[in-house]
This record gives sequence, structure tokens and C-alpha cells, in this order.
Amino acid sequence: MTVTEKAARSVADFMDDPISFFGQSYTQMHSIDRGELEALQRQAMAIRFQQHYQRIEMLRKLADRLGITALNEFNDVVPLFFSHTAFKSYPAALIDKRRFDLMTKWLDKLTSYDLSDVDTAGCTGIDDWIDRLDRQTPLEVITSSGTTGTISILPKDKRGAEQGMTLWKICLFQTFGREPTDKELNPSVDVVWPNFANGKLGHLRIANMIKRGFTGGDETRFHALYPGAIDTDLMFLASKMRAAAARGELDRLEVDPALAARKDEFIAMQARQAQDMEAFFNRLTDQLRGQRVFMTSTFHLMYDIAKAGLDRGVRNVFAPDSAILTGGGMKGVALPDDFMDVIKDFLGVDRIQVGYGFSESSTFHWGCSEGRYHVAPWVIPFVLDPDTSEPLPRTGVQTGRAAVYDILLRAHWGGVISGDEVTINWDLQCPCGQTSVAFEPEIMRFSEKQGIEDDRITCAATHEVHNEAVNFMKGLDL
Amino acid sequence: MIAYTVPLFLRGQVITDDLVPFDARIGASQFQAPDMSKYVERLPLKSPAEMSDLYELSFDEILDVLEALGNALDFDSNTHLQEAYEASLVANVLPAEMMQNSYRILRPLFSRENVTEIADSQVGLDYLNGWVPHKLRDGRELRVRAFGSRVLHIPAGNGGLVSAVTILRSVITRSDVIIKAPSNDPLTAIAIARTLADVAPNHPITKHLAVGYWKGGDLAVEETLYQPHHIEKIVAWGGLASVKHVTRYIQPGLELIALDPKRSATIIGHEAFDDEATMREVARRAATDIGVANQEGCANARVIYLLSGTDADGLAKANRLGELIYRELISLPAIVSTPPRYPNRELLDHLEASRMTEDFYRVIGGEQHEGAIVVSQFDEAVDYSPMLSGRVANIVPVDSIDKVTTAVNAYTQTIGIYPESLKRQLRDTLPLFGAQRLTSLGYACNVAIAAPQDAVEPIRRMCKWVVDEECDPNIVIPLWQLTPA
Repeated sequence: MTVTEKAARSVADFMDDPISFFGQSYTQMHSIDRGELEALQRQAMAIRFQQHYQRIEMLRKLADRLGITALNEFNDVVPLFFSHTAFKSYPAALIDKRRFDLMTKWLDKLTSYDLSDVDTAGCTGIDDWIDRLDRQTPLEVITSSGTTGTISILPKDKRGAEQGMTLWKICLFQTFGREPTDKELNPSVDVVWPNFANGKLGHLRIANMIKRGFTGGDETRFHALYPGAIDTDLMFLASKMRAAAARGELDRLEVDPALAARKDEFIAMQARQAQDMEAFFNRLTDQLRGQRVFMTSTFHLMYDIAKAGLDRGVRNVFAPDSAILTGGGMKGVALPDDFMDVIKDFLGVDRIQVGYGFSESSTFHWGCSEGRYHVAPWVIPFVLDPDTSEPLPRTGVQTGRAAVYDILLRAHWGGVISGDEVTINWDLQCPCGQTSVAFEPEIMRFSEKQGIEDDRITCAATHEVHNEAVNFMKGLDL
Repeated sequence: MIAYTVPLFLRGQVITDDLVPFDARIGASQFQAPDMSKYVERLPLKSPAEMSDLYELSFDEILDVLEALGNALDFDSNTHLQEAYEASLVANVLPAEMMQNSYRILRPLFSRENVTEIADSQVGLDYLNGWVPHKLRDGRELRVRAFGSRVLHIPAGNGGLVSAVTILRSVITRSDVIIKAPSNDPLTAIAIARTLADVAPNHPITKHLAVGYWKGGDLAVEETLYQPHHIEKIVAWGGLASVKHVTRYIQPGLELIALDPKRSATIIGHEAFDDEATMREVARRAATDIGVANQEGCANARVIYLLSGTDADGLAKANRLGELIYRELISLPAIVSTPPRYPNRELLDHLEASRMTEDFYRVIGGEQHEGAIVVSQFDEAVDYSPMLSGRVANIVPVDSIDKVTTAVNAYTQTIGIYPESLKRQLRDTLPLFGAQRLTSLGYACNVAIAAPQDAVEPIRRMCKWVVDEECDPNIVIPLWQLTPA
């Protein structure tokens, strides 16, 4: 084998199966020499662009319009970044009119897979449509919660979901600086899931993978707050309500008859919530007491549960080596200064991990001992000027809008701009020992800065949105 | 950095003490204003009886003072206005040449003819100046007079005209007026007030005017001031949040006159395609309705319903008109319209996404943030239509006139229509859905002051309509003589 062939093989390995490339080791992922990594990233980005240029129509049209035929340097990709709006550019009227044939045609132009044979005949709603895509294609579509009046539809695939789950496992159970043990590679824990058990939202899709992947295959060890699924069509109704209210047209809002027919079911589900919460809590403090668990939720929900637990005199509820993941920012949430102590006191664990990511990308970037979010090696981070979207220099300390090119993304184009203000110190060698570039701990939504609503996907929003739609239906004579 | 100071104009006195900083709406700059919690007790009249001096004024004298005020509002010589203009460059999103022009149009507003037309048509001079007699069927003599009231104004800040109109309306109704200066037009009302004090020092009209700034939602100020014993009416312009916020103070004795945030629409008939010259004329008019003051106003065109049809021929026509409107839009003179200084980033992202969604949308222009026309390729507006601003409009082709009522809802203000015959056809229907003003295409932002606004008559509403009845027991059957019917 010549040197060139060896290099070519390693780029292919790096971009198509980075998890194996790094030996499933978190330590290896974040120890690679930066120069070496950047060379790999550049080549991988160039190859992936050519693949996606052929297969993703919207990318091809954009590149053609801009006259871009190849990507050589990192900054070459910046004009090709998609904003979140690319994933909600379908007319909402298509859903109202049940034109899922046209929705499929729209989605086809956003994904590298061929959707031309998807059968949408008789499709009754968004959930039905996504279920059909699940069955008939490699896709595993995720949606946003639609808090701004439109739901994003992201064509993720099953392969990516599987990889995502594996990566969570690697990041959650391994410690930087130590090669993984068998136990860390194949953890078997109870999963505490303070959320709906199911749904098409990104984090709920992951639940399905975790349900098997984290529990040693025993799904009874998956403990969700609400046993049901969040209903995408109900979420769409809630998003339409918001849009209609913003236009002063709530009186013209029509509820899809198929959804209206399920009114009683939704109301019953809502009425059960207090009971579900009580049962969930009892399971936590009785059945799962002292167990090693994996639990994830927003700061806010985590705090509420911890506070309720401490009020009942329950503390140190889980085994100290449990894996706890939180994040999701502090938007609109007033928590007391000592909220982290309250959470720790209740959970009784050694460490609480935090991560940063956004759904248009595929990757979560894990917080280190210094509080920085280290960028996964297959993701190329950018800091853009928040107004012009021009890339800021990849040196010194830069603050601006986060954007990434995610090489791991195959189902859709991996160049995406976030709504977040981030800082990267490009020259920093983080004292935690990881060689990777990192986002500084302070991350803020631009919309949060400006005090406006946005469409971030949080666990908190889903519950709220669901209830909003059910309450609206209660008031209608359906 | 403190960019400018917003003094308190307290009934003729200019106060610049006890300054505290505030964040300006744009960028990182700050401004300062007297801490209103220290002055709020001095804002309202001590007693309503103090308004009696306004009733000793003849209307002629009111016209004299306003005319003198207008003459003094000469941008080139009035330092108060120049100062207000400088501040507006920091506080407002509009470019310099447009802001300057907005100050140049103030002077004619206060001319005798203009003020008289407004007062007479919107209230009635006889009602403003005395008791108007009227005999009822039962024989009683009725005399009605329009009294001024103690009014708090919360004007919008998109252009100095709103502050000027606010002062004009207050003066002709003989009201006592407190104006909360808007943060995006912080100094215009103050500048007019200071000019008034220059031309009419110690005059009752000057003594019944107070202008200051406090942050909307400052409870220390609002809970003290927004009380029926201090003010009788609040005239609130502006954003949904600010109007909603004011409603918490409304109670018996304190009335809200809401000039809510509104959006406007446009309806263009198939006659636009009669010939090339007509199409160009329609494009110029539509571009004007979109572009004036960079589409910051409530009267600007945003979604344009076009009766072109949605078949291939109809879409081709819509796309062609879109091209023409775009060309006219970017050719508008700079005092009327420019590329926006602060384009809405979220909107631009949606625009780029629409550009990539060719099956449903055709996007014309917008690549330099100069403004754009999105032509829907089916009969629905873009889902982000409430965001349209900074010279971005959406053409929606429709097949029939039944569909254009979707242009109108509870938040609709102006509908610009072409041609006139279509307007006549629609004028009895559109108001049922919420339209408040129908106007010839091209005139949406050319707003008359001597007309109802937002489907109410704000100047009449600012008045208290007081009745004096004279009943002669020989003519009007007294209740004490009532017999069973």
C-alpha cells in the first residue's frame, strides 16, 4: 500500500465511520493533533460536498447560483450554510391540504436519499407521513416544536440516529484520559426520562435508541414521565394557533377533522398528567433508589424534580456513578443561585454533565472539566459575524454566531448556521487536556438576547405546546 | 456611551436634573433622562379647575399660537429640531435624509387652514368653541359642547409626525396633555414643546403640556400617574405589548383610546394587465406603498393579492409584475425609500429559504438586502408574512375575488386597491372582516390627518361630550306628573 492510498483510506474511514476511526474512544477523539485533524476535515468536507452536490437539489441550486464547484478551504463552505429556515420552507398550507405528495417532493430536495417512490396515498397527517417515511426510506425525520408558528422538518436518517446513540454512550460513560473499558462501552443502566416516551422531536427519537442501547436490551428499565407519544399533528395545530394569533386570525383556524375526532383522547391524556407525574416520582424514589441510572433533562425540570424530592425528605437518590446530562440554557427560567446544589443534593451523583448542540447538526459537544464544550472531531466549527454571516478569523478569541460543517451528516447537508452566540478561543490549549477546539461556556440564543420567541427544541416547550393545543380544542365545539 | 439627553418638559419648564441612563433601542448606545419617579407627582394637574384658562382662549388665538409654532418649526433654523434629528439618527432605524425630511413636513401641519380643516371636520368648530343647541322631539332644549380632557399620550416613534399630530390634537380640543416620549423618537415631542415655549411663553397652551421619558412598565411612575384622579384618557399607539401593558390601568374613569399596531394589505385587479403602460403605473404605485419609509409603518403594503389567476398564464403575469415592482422599488428616491439600515436577519433567512423553494416561491432581488419581492406560485401568502419589513413584499396570485378577503383580518388597517372600480366593489365587504381604510393604490402611506384613524375618531374620543338640557315643564312632561300608561 502506498502512502497516498493509506491516506485516502483514512479519510474514507474518518468521514464514514468516525466512531471506529477513533476506536470508540472519547480520549482518542479529543487527542488528535489539530493540524492532522484539520487536513482530514478539509479533505472530508471536499468529498462530502461533491457527494451532496450530486444528490441534494437545494444545495446544488445554491452552489450553482453562487458559482461554487468545490470546497478547498474551511471558509469556502460558509456561503453554502443553511439557516434553520431551510428546513421550514415548505408552505404550511400543504399540510392543511394533506398534500403529503408535495411535502415529500419538498423534502426530497433537502435529502441525499431518493424519495420519489414514497407512497403517500391516503396519508392522514404529519405523524402518518413521517411513519411512512420511516417504513419506506432510510430516513428517520425529526421535527421542531414549532413555537414560532412553523415546524422544522429535518431529514435525519436511521444510521445517524444509531450513531447518535453510540456517541451519547461514548461521551456519557467514558472519561477523557482513560481508554474505555468493556463496561463503559456496554453500559447497562436504568434510564430516567422526564418527558414523553415517544415522538418525532429530536430528543424523543433518541429515546427510542436509548431504550434498548443503554439498558442492556431490557426496555422495562426505561422510565418515562409520560408513557405516550407527543403528537406531531397536535403540535402542528399549536404552531398554527400561534401563527394565527400573530395574524389576528384565530377565528379562522380550522382543526383537521381527523385530529378533532381524537379530542377526547387528548383531553384524557392531559387529565392523566398529574397522576403520571406522581407515579414517575414514586418510581424514582422507591424502585430506582440507589440504582445506577442515566437521566437527562433541562436544568429547569431537573430542578423542579430535585426540589420536590428534597421537600419530601428524599436525597442522594441514585448511585454516585450515575450518568446525568443536562443543558438547554436558562431561557425564561428564573432559578435560585444554588439550583445546582439542590439538583446535586437530590440526585447524589459525582458529576453532572452538560452538552451543547443544535438539531440542524447531528452532534452534541460535551462539556469538559473547565466548562468548555469541546467540538467533536468530525465537526468543523465557525464563528460568524452575527450581522453579515461572514466568517471571523480562526485565530484569537472570537465571539459571534455559531455555525458548523458536520461531516457525519449524510442524510442532509451538514453546513448549518445556529441561532446561538458563542465564543471560541482558537489559540487555547484547554487545561483539561483535550486538543480539540472548544466553545466557551457562555452560550446564548440571539433571540434570547433580543427578548423574542424562537423555535428552539426544548423538552420544556413540548409539554407546553401540547397542552396549549388541547386547551384550544377543549374550547371548540368539534 | 451617553448619546443624548431627553429632558423633561414640565409645563414650560425644561428640566435636566436627576439624570439616569437608559438603553437605546438600537446598538449599544445609551441616553439619559431625569429620573421620573422624582417628578411624577408634578406631571399631572393639581386640580381639574386649572384647565379653566384654556376656555378663556378663543379658537382664533389657538390658531395664532399653532401658526406661530408651525412657523418656528423651521428645520434649518430651529436648534431644538436639529437636536431631535441628531438623536433620531441614533435612536431610529431610518436613514438620515429620510429623518430630515420628516422634520421638514411639520411646518405645514400647523397652518391655519390645515388646523381648521382638522378641527372642523373631525370634531366641529361650533362644538369645540361653545354649546351647540338642538331641540329634541320631546321638546327639551339640548346644548352639547366638546370639552377637552386630561390625556396621557403614548405615541409611536416611527417618524416625528406622530408627536406633532398628538400635540395638535390636544391643543385644538383644549386638553391637558402629558406625552410619554417614545424611545425610538425621543426628542421630537420635546423639541415641539420647547419651540412652543419659545413662541408662547407662559401661555395656557404651553402650561398644559408636559413631555418626558420613562421606561414603559416602570411601575413607580405608572401606578402613580395612571389614575382616574390624574388623567381621564390614555391614547396609546404602538406595539401589541405596550398597548396590552397599558390595559392593566384601565378602570372606570380612565379610558383607553387604542391606536393598535396594524398591518396593511394590497389588492390589485386584473385590469393591471390591460396594457404595458398600466402595468408599469401599477408597479410604481405598489412599489411606493411597499417602500415608503422602508416599510416601517403600519400603512405600508406587505402582502399583495393579485387577481391574475393561478394558471400558468396567471403566474407568468404575477412574476412579471413582481419584476416590475422590484425595479420600481429600488428606483424610489432616497427621501422616500432606501435599503434598510437594519434588515431583519430572521426575515432574510426565510427569504433565502424561499429562494431555494422554487416550486412554491419566486424571489426577486434581496441578495444585497436592498428589498425583495416574493411571488407565491400558488394562492397563499408566505408563512412568515407577519415579519415582512425592510422593503420585502409578497405577491399572492388568486383566481377569484372571494379569496381576497383573506387579506383582511382584525389587525388590518389600510387596503390599497387598484383599480377604483374594484375598490367600490369591495368597500362594503372588506370592513366586515376588519379593513379600516381603503385607498387608491400608491397612497397607502399618504395619510390624511383630517379623517378617522383606525376606524375610530380619536379627536372626538379625546373630548368629553357634555350635555346641558333645558326642560320647560309646560313642554316636556315632568316625571312628577306621570300617570299610568
